Amino acid sequence: MKNNLAERRAGRNWTQADLAAALGVSRQTVISIEREKFDPSLPLAFLIARTFDCAIEDIFVAE
Amino acid sequence: MSKASFTSRRAPVHHYVLAFILGAILTIAVSVLVGASNPGDFWLAAGIGALCAAYPAMSLGAKVFVSNHTVARDAHGEQSVELQWMRQAGAGAFLDILVAVLVAVLVLVIGRFTVDALPVLLGLIGLSAVDAGVRYLVIRYRDLK
Repeated sequence: MKNNLAERRAGRNWTQADLAAALGVSRQTVISIEREKFDPSLPLAFLIARTFDCAIEDIFVAE
Repeated sequence: MSKASFTSRRAPVHHYVLAFILGAILTIAVSVLVGASNPGDFWLAAGIGALCAAYPAMSLGAKVFVSNHTVARDAHGEQSVELQWMRQAGAGAFLDILVAVLVAVLVLVIGRFTVDALPVLLGLIGLSAVDAGVRYLVIRYRDLK
């Protein structure tokens, strides 16, 4: 699944560690999502969307 | 990765008693089985069996009766990529071991070799641990590079 998580994170001047702490997951998880190697679970996708005040489909796009 | 952390909470006292009783029953059962398998030296074998079984049996007792009260689960543990790596590594290692055992059995049957079971079993344990560990590191490296 494609996503613009890295751009959104950079827009807030957050490091991957900052985002990982906000989401309650490991930094490796954030790296893997940004590199599109790992599709987050639905609860995590909702949490990411809530963190960036947008809808899930604003961040994730099905290929 | 799925994480759990210990808390300062305590379980009700009777849960610790139940955990100990379950652990003791399992330990005695294992030691009797081990002793019975070696009737010439029952008490020595039973003692070794009890020593080997005591820790995992008591741990199981604590897991069943105590840990629900004293261990806090990580709410997001299931959502981390490490769990996916671990599952992939475990599944791959299982297939590797299965193939290795099949090949070894074929070689033994065709070649009519006989080998002691103990070193083979120890080798299998070592191989599966190393295999899963190496697979985990390779998967992790590929995903993060």
